[in-house]
Amino acid sequence: MRPRVAAAAGGAIALVVALGACSENTGEGTTVDTNRQQTGVIATDPKDSMGPAAEVAGAQKGGTFTIIRETPISHLDPQRTYSFAGLMANPLFARYLTTWKDDGKGGLVLVGDLAETPGTNVNSDCKVWEFKIKDGVKFEDGSAITAKEIAYGIARSFDPDLSGGPTYIQEWLADSPQFDTKWDFKKNKTSLPPGLTTPDDKTLRFEFAKPRCDLPFAVSLPTTAPLKADKDTGVNLDQRPFSSGPYKVAKNQAGVQLTLDRNPNWDPKTDPVRHQYPDQFVWSFGPTADAANNRVIADNGADQSALAWNYVPASLVAKVANDPALKSRSILSPTPSANQLVINTQRVTDLKIRQALNYAIDRDGLVKALGGQTVAAPMTTLMPPSTIGYKAYDAYPAGANGNVDKAKELLGGQTPELVFGAADSTTEQQMATQLKGNLERAGFKITIRNIPDDAKLDEVKKKNNPWDLYIGNWAADWPSGASILPVLYDGRTIKADGNSNQSYFNDAAINTEMDRILALPPTEQGPEWGKLDERIMKEHAPVVPLFVDVAYAVHGSKAGGIFISSVFGYPSFVNAHVKQ
Amino acid sequence: MARFLIKRIFSAVLTLFAVSVLTFLMFFALPRDPVSGMCPKNCNPERLERVRQELGLRDPLVTQYAGYMKGIFTGRDLGSAQGGRCDAPCLGWSYVNNEAVLDTITRVLPVTLSIVIPAAILWLLLGVGLGMVSALRRGTWLDRAAIGFSLTGASLQLYFVGAVLLMIFVYNLRWLPVPSYTSVFDNPVKWASGLVLSWIALAFLFSAIYARLSRAQMLETLSEDFVRTARAKGLAKPAVYGRHALRAAITPVVTIAGLDVGAALGGTVITETTFGIQGLGRTAVEAVRAGDLPTIMATVLISAVFVVLANVLVDLLYAAIDPRVRLG
Repeated sequence: MRPRVAAAAGGAIALVVALGACSENTGEGTTVDTNRQQTGVIATDPKDSMGPAAEVAGAQKGGTFTIIRETPISHLDPQRTYSFAGLMANPLFARYLTTWKDDGKGGLVLVGDLAETPGTNVNSDCKVWEFKIKDGVKFEDGSAITAKEIAYGIARSFDPDLSGGPTYIQEWLADSPQFDTKWDFKKNKTSLPPGLTTPDDKTLRFEFAKPRCDLPFAVSLPTTAPLKADKDTGVNLDQRPFSSGPYKVAKNQAGVQLTLDRNPNWDPKTDPVRHQYPDQFVWSFGPTADAANNRVIADNGADQSALAWNYVPASLVAKVANDPALKSRSILSPTPSANQLVINTQRVTDLKIRQALNYAIDRDGLVKALGGQTVAAPMTTLMPPSTIGYKAYDAYPAGANGNVDKAKELLGGQTPELVFGAADSTTEQQMATQLKGNLERAGFKITIRNIPDDAKLDEVKKKNNPWDLYIGNWAADWPSGASILPVLYDGRTIKADGNSNQSYFNDAAINTEMDRILALPPTEQGPEWGKLDERIMKEHAPVVPLFVDVAYAVHGSKAGGIFISSVFGYPSFVNAHVKQ
Repeated sequence: MARFLIKRIFSAVLTLFAVSVLTFLMFFALPRDPVSGMCPKNCNPERLERVRQELGLRDPLVTQYAGYMKGIFTGRDLGSAQGGRCDAPCLGWSYVNNEAVLDTITRVLPVTLSIVIPAAILWLLLGVGLGMVSALRRGTWLDRAAIGFSLTGASLQLYFVGAVLLMIFVYNLRWLPVPSYTSVFDNPVKWASGLVLSWIALAFLFSAIYARLSRAQMLETLSEDFVRTARAKGLAKPAVYGRHALRAAITPVVTIAGLDVGAALGGTVITETTFGIQGLGRTAVEAVRAGDLPTIMATVLISAVFVVLANVLVDLLYAAIDPRVRLG
C-alpha cells in the first residue's frame, strides 16, 4: 500500500486504490458512472480460474497495438514492478499466482492465474496457505512452470539489488520489515525463504507467523511471477524479462520502444483473463502528454490503433469532450485513487470542529477548480466505491456545495484557527486555496503554509508535524478494506516517523473492531469493512473525504478493448485488440 | 603544428577535468537523494541506508570521484546491484534507467548526431548561401528577401516553428510520419523522413545568423585590396568570389559554426522535446530531474568533449581555409 504522489520521472511514487466504476468505452459518449460499485468476490469454484477467457465482442486477431507514453516504464522485471505502467504492462508477459477478472464495470473476481484457485486457507487461520499450480502452464521457451519457479521468483524478491517492487509477501514470510536481513537471497540461491516451501511440483505452500488473510490478494501482484533460476540475469532482467504470459519481449530499446510479440507457448486454455489478439504490442516512449494525445486524436496511420497512456491534458480536454467523433474514442472512468482533507486529530481534538469541516466543504466547487469531471469525482466515504464491501453513505450530508449554516451551528460561534500544510505543487496550491475559501465561509480561519513538494509526504508522515490539515491520497494495492482502513486508521501503528495514519487517529474501540474483522475469512470481510468505514466517519470524522481521481484517455479509431482497471485505475490491455 | 596540437589537447584535457569535477560537486549540492528514487515506495530508513552504503554514496567524495574516473579508463566492478563488472569506458550504472550508462549513451548519441549533423550542413549551406547572394546582389530585392527570411528565422523559437511544421506536414497534410528515430543503417529513407522536420526547423532558426554574418564579412572582403587586385588582373568572377573572397570571409563563420555544432550536439533538448525524439539532450535533462548522477556525468562530459573537440577542429580549419593563419 502506498500513498500516491504524482507520477514523476525516475520511478516516482504511485499508489492506487480500487476504483469505482470503470466504464468501458461503448461509443455512446462518456460520462462518469459513479453509481457503479465494486462487486468483487473471490472465486471459490476452480472453473472460474480456468481459461480460455471469454471472447471480446468484435475482437479479431492481428495488427499492432501501440501505447504511447512520455516516460519509460521504470521496471519490467516483475519482481521489481510497482509503477502503474509497469503493473499494467506486466500481465502481457508475466503471470502470477492469482489475478483479477475485471469486467471494466466494477465487477471484480479474484481468480487463480497460475494457481488452480485463489488459494486454500489450510487451517482456516490464514497462517498456512496452499496453491495448486495448473497443468499446461509454460514459459516462453516451452518449459513447464511449476511451483519451484514461482517460489524462485518470490525468493529473488528478497534480493536488495532487486529493489522497487511490493514487499508484502517478503515481510510476511520473514515476519519483519527487514526481510532482506532475515534471509539473504544471494547466499541461499538454492534454498527458499523461511515459510515458503514446494512440497511437490504442483504445490506452493506459505506458512506465516501471523494470520495473513489478504494473501490471495497480495499474490496477485507481480512478485509471484515465475522465473527459472538459469534465466535470472539479476538487474539485467529489467531489459529482457522471461515471459510466462501471452506476449514476450521481441526487442527492447530501453527508453525508446518496447516491442512484444506473441508467445506461442502461452496456452489460452490455462488463462482466465488474458487474450492474444494483436500480433504485436509496441510501447513507444518519448512524446509528451500533449504530443501523444494530439497524435491519437489525429488518428493517422499506426496511431489509429494506439492509446495515449498519459491522460488527456487540460489543454485538450475541451476539444476531446466537445467533439462527438472523439467522444467515442475516449474513456472516462473514476479510479481507486482517493483524496482526502486529512485532519491531524492530535491537534484538532474537538469532534465538532472535525464535523464542521466536513459540512463546510464544497466538493462540487473543488472538482470544478481542479478541472471538472474529467479530473475528479466527489466522494464521501473513506474507501473508494470500487472496494469490496463498499457501502455508499454520506455521514455529513451537505449537498454538492457544502452546508455553511450546519457547519456554523456545530462551531457555535467559535472561529477555529487552523494551519493548512500544502505542497507547493500547482494542484495542491489550487486545492488549498479553494478549500480555504470554503472553510472561511463557515467561520474557520485558515493559514496556508507551503511545504516543498518533494518533502511534503515525508513531513506529514512525522507524528509531531505542525499542521492541522493537509491533503492525503491513498490507493490500495488491492481493493480490500483490509488494505485501506487498518493501514490508515489503526492508531496502534503510529510511530515517530513514516506514518500512513496521517490523521494520527487512535481509538481503542475502532482498533478492536479492525482486529475482529481481520480475523474473519477473507470472503466475509467485505461488508464489515463497509460498515466500519461509515462508523469511523460518523463517530470520529478523522478526515474529510474529497474525491477520487478520474482517468480520461483517448485512443485511435481502430484500438479496441481498452478499459480502466478496477484495481489500479489505469488502462488494462488484456482485452486489447486492433479493429480490422 | 605538432606543438599546437599538443598544447590544444592538453588544454582540452584540463577543461574536461574541470568540467567533471564541477559536475560531481554540483550533484552533491543538489537537494536530492538518489536512493529514494531507487526504492520509492516501501523502503524503510534502515534499508535505504544499506542501499546508500552499497552504492558507495557514504564514501568520501574524492574516493567516489576517483572510482568514477578509474572506471572510464580501466573499468571497474560496480557490484551486483549495478550490473557487476563494468568494462572501460565504464560510465557507471543508472539506477533510474536500470542499465549501464554506456548503453544509454550509445543509444541516444546516434539520435542526436542524426539530428545535428544534417541540420548543421543544411543551416550552413542555407545561411552562407543566402549571405553570399545578398552580398553579391546588395540592395536588390533578393538581398532584402534573403535577409528578411533569415531575420524571421532568428526571431522565432524552435518549439513554435517545430509545432507549426508538425501541424502542417504531419497532422494536416500527412506527408510525413510522426517524427521518430530509425538508424540510418537500418533504413535511410525512414531515418530521413523521421528527422527531416527537425533539420528544417533547426536550419531555419540557425541559418539567420550565418546569413547575416557571411553577408557582412563578404561585403567587407569584397572591398579589400586583394579582391580588387584579383579583379584587376582579370580573374573571372566565380574565381574571385569563390577562391579568394569566400575563403577570407568564411573564417568567422567557421568559428561560430564550431561552437554552435558543439553546443547543439551537447543539448538539442528543445528540438528533441518538440519532436518527441529521445536523444542526448532529453536524456541529460531527465537525468538532472531524477538526480541520476552517473547519467548526468556522462551527458555533461560528452557535451564538453564535443565543444572542446569542435574548437580544436575550428582552429585546424582556420589554417586550411585562410592562408594568413599559421599554427604554431
